[in-house]
Amino acid sequence: MKKTSIVLIGIIAIFLVIGGILASSYNNMVSKKETIENTLSDLDVMLQRRADLIPNLVSTVKGYMNHESEIINQVTEARKNLVNANTVSEKLDANEELTHSLQALMVVVENYPELKSSSNFIQLSDELAGTENRISVARRDYNMAVNQYNTTIKKFPNMIFASLFGFEKENYYEAEASSTKVPSVSFE
Amino acid sequence: MLVSSKRKGIFKTLLFLICLFLFQNKIFALVQPTTSFYVNDYANLLSESTKEYIQKANERLYQKTGSQIVVVTVLNLEGNSLEEYATELFRNFGIGSKQKNNGILLLLTLEERQFRVEVGYGLEGILPDAKTGRIQDEYIIPYLKQNKWDEGIQNGFKKILDEIVNYYGVDINMNIDPIEVESEEGNGSVVMFSIFGLPMISFLLGFLTKQLERDKILKKQHFKLFTFIYISGVFLFYWFYLRTLFATDLHISFYSYLCFVGILIGINGIAFASGRSKKHVVGFSIKGGSSSFGSSGGSHGGGGSSGGGGSSRNF
Repeated sequence: MKKTSIVLIGIIAIFLVIGGILASSYNNMVSKKETIENTLSDLDVMLQRRADLIPNLVSTVKGYMNHESEIINQVTEARKNLVNANTVSEKLDANEELTHSLQALMVVVENYPELKSSSNFIQLSDELAGTENRISVARRDYNMAVNQYNTTIKKFPNMIFASLFGFEKENYYEAEASSTKVPSVSFE
Repeated sequence: MLVSSKRKGIFKTLLFLICLFLFQNKIFALVQPTTSFYVNDYANLLSESTKEYIQKANERLYQKTGSQIVVVTVLNLEGNSLEEYATELFRNFGIGSKQKNNGILLLLTLEERQFRVEVGYGLEGILPDAKTGRIQDEYIIPYLKQNKWDEGIQNGFKKILDEIVNYYGVDINMNIDPIEVESEEGNGSVVMFSIFGLPMISFLLGFLTKQLERDKILKKQHFKLFTFIYISGVFLFYWFYLRTLFATDLHISFYSYLCFVGILIGINGIAFASGRSKKHVVGFSIKGGSSSFGSSGGSHGGGGSSGGGGSSRNF
């Protein structure tokens, strides 16, 4: 009888240990996934904030620049695309497009020193620049979170249980390699 | 137990090298915090008194609020972008308390001539990007443009310290007197006075003295003496005070202003001698005022601004 009970205890112990490993592995993967979700929501907030700044910028600029409607329209279009985007990559792609159209706009603003030195414009520029940087940081944080998560689910022993629990590899965001989509403008 | 001392030595060096490799900053070579933590003057720009001030203020501020305002000066960014460098440094140093995230980083890079204020998450409400940009324009950059590093950094530090101390409603028992550098747009009341008030006063005085002369109360010599004193007074006022406001177009502004005042008083004399109506003279006075203002607008201090969670400036 003693031998059986020892074996029994041994088996229970093994099960407990395996259970413990399972639990910690699962929790680890969950928390890594949660980090991704957090960085995503941060990113969302920043993208939204950027989109919100654009109408103000457009009206400020329109006050000084009368015949530059094409550039301004491109900015408005890009903003609309950003607001309507759904997936992460769609949003970040739309964000890139908005960045390009804003860059083109800033080139034109150079010809309007009064606009450039108006305090309203300076404030907006600061806010926009701030938001853009925050987006960059959020994007880096997102990729880092994805990296950590992917590494975690590939490691032993997580990899055994990962697909069992439904943890799949997440995608990084990679910016467009060829940033040649600067909108072309014709000046009459 | 069987390990010889020689093997131990090898093991130790290996361990040391491994640690060196592992704990090196993976992204790029950031500067490390000095022992003081709050002052990291790698570019050697700050005076002892500034460093002491920053250190003391921070110690007290941290004790009362958990907030930290770290100042870093570097010789160059080693090829990195200002914003990335600042954010990485901020996180690496761990500025501000963890719960409140109320840290500020003031970063100056000498070679690239850039300045950045990086704001922790918790302070973004009271120090949004536009505000830190304005603080840079009004408290820091004007000094940096003249290579007055110590003054600029100390002034900016004080202003930001002021903001945080007011936000938390604490008293750290230190003198905080940031100096706002007057910009052309700022300090509108002085501008308004010198543009509209002074001409008005000139007109009134001119009218008064001319009238007194006609009433034979003032003699002609007195009148001339008086106008001379008055014009000198205006000249001195302009030279010592207004000049800083209209800094760039100094000569044009000065001469136009002086001529304007002189003509005004002169016109007074002629107008009343020939019995013309008051309206004519008043109209001239206001018009003259606006033309003087137009010629004295200077160019605004420039800055590339990019990064976020704060603002950046070139100087």
